[in-house]
Amino acid sequence: MADLDATDEAILASVANGQLDALERLYERYRTMAYATALRITADPGAAEDVVQDAFLCVWRSAARYAESRGSVQAWLLSIVRHRAIDSIRRRRPASALPESESAMPNEMTLPDVWPEVAGRLDRAAIAAALDALPGPQREAIELAYFGGLTQQEIAARTGSPLGTVKSRVRLGLLTLRAALIDAGHAPPGSSAEGGR
Amino acid sequence: MTMPRFGDLTCDEVVELVPDFVLGTLGDAEAEAVRAHLTACPHAHEEIAELGGVVPYLAAALEPVEPPPELLNRILAAAASERRVALAVGPLAEADGPRSAPAKTATSGPSRPMTAPVGPVTPGPWRRPGRDFALAVAAAFALALLGAWNLSLQGQVSELTAYRQGIAAVLDAAAAPGSQLAVLAADSGTGPRGLAAVRADGTVVLAMRDLAPTVGSQVYEAWLIVGDRPPVPVGGFSVGSSGSAVFVTRTSPVARGAIVALTLEPRPGATTPTLPIVARGIASPPSD
Repeated sequence: MADLDATDEAILASVANGQLDALERLYERYRTMAYATALRITADPGAAEDVVQDAFLCVWRSAARYAESRGSVQAWLLSIVRHRAIDSIRRRRPASALPESESAMPNEMTLPDVWPEVAGRLDRAAIAAALDALPGPQREAIELAYFGGLTQQEIAARTGSPLGTVKSRVRLGLLTLRAALIDAGHAPPGSSAEGGR
Repeated sequence: MTMPRFGDLTCDEVVELVPDFVLGTLGDAEAEAVRAHLTACPHAHEEIAELGGVVPYLAAALEPVEPPPELLNRILAAAASERRVALAVGPLAEADGPRSAPAKTATSGPSRPMTAPVGPVTPGPWRRPGRDFALAVAAAFALALLGAWNLSLQGQVSELTAYRQGIAAVLDAAAAPGSQLAVLAADSGTGPRGLAAVRADGTVVLAMRDLAPTVGSQVYEAWLIVGDRPPVPVGGFSVGSSGSAVFVTRTSPVARGAIVALTLEPRPGATTPTLPIVARGIASPPSD
């Protein structure tokens, strides 16, 4: 069994070597966050289970391809979860014109991520409060994009708002959130965890 | 004046795409174009960092949610089935065709499909030579069981493939230190058969075939019987028309020599087995 204090990277290296107990360790570490993300996006416990299973099997298959320089294990894993979850809801959304993407793989991440800093200074309540403090339309637009996987054009269609308005809301919402997080002592580092799909 | 393009995009166009880019909602082609621009463009594009730095907080704000406890076992079983035991899989793969059919997992809850495409055969680092030999014997036994089935029924190929993946999962579990392996069969010698691995931590991985499909609330209940003690139920599962199932559950660590038994129960939650026993086998370390 892996060392209790083993780093995520060490655990993932064991996963890449085919050690099932390492996969279990990784799951124990991130199961609640992964399931919360999948559940939030799919709004379906059964689908969320499938997404989490699929994501961890993806990790199992591709752990050897993980590149530390492209982001933390946590960000990599949650990126897979999120993309798989969005794929899942897209499959349930036949009217969607969006192309399906099965490529929620680590090599998509081309920018350094901020998860280590976020995890180290995480105050969930403060972050949730900062999100809640956003004006409703801004929060809605950001949540539809992040948790719904909708493009800005789709958000415009969904909310009946002009595309330009949606663009402004998303941009302003992210900037407002950034300012609120800085005020709350959670200065977002200057890099991205997402690199597009 | 025309703005220079890098990666087919101007800086203004990239700025326009930044929110979608950092939120991960661009299409693949657009995201790639943005990346190409960022790689080639001499400008810093600080807006990427400015907006993108906020994104990880969105997921971090979610309240953690505990997944169902059986999900771990499903994941481990599927992962184990992908990393098959080479000794068992090689001959089986020749016998039963495609490698990509999904396995099915029966759980104590509603049965859910478990996608388990098969990856390359890679011996796991946990396998020791002596154990491998023992597993080869077990695998040979499994092969003998498989060989008895009518492989000419091509319509059952995918069913057999799913079962084969289950067998691989069982043997992988049996390869873990302290694990035991049981070969299950009906007392009559015909009918349901399969293998069960009991890991040291109490995880039980069971692969069965030729079971009669369950009807209504019926479930197959797995039992562990140690010596003269009463049978301990470890979980139940339903079976579809294929007659095969892969079942993973976890119980307390099991003493050596326990009997793994299967009964058909009218409903989940049985506390005493309904006879007759459908199949049974004695768990023992593979090296015995």
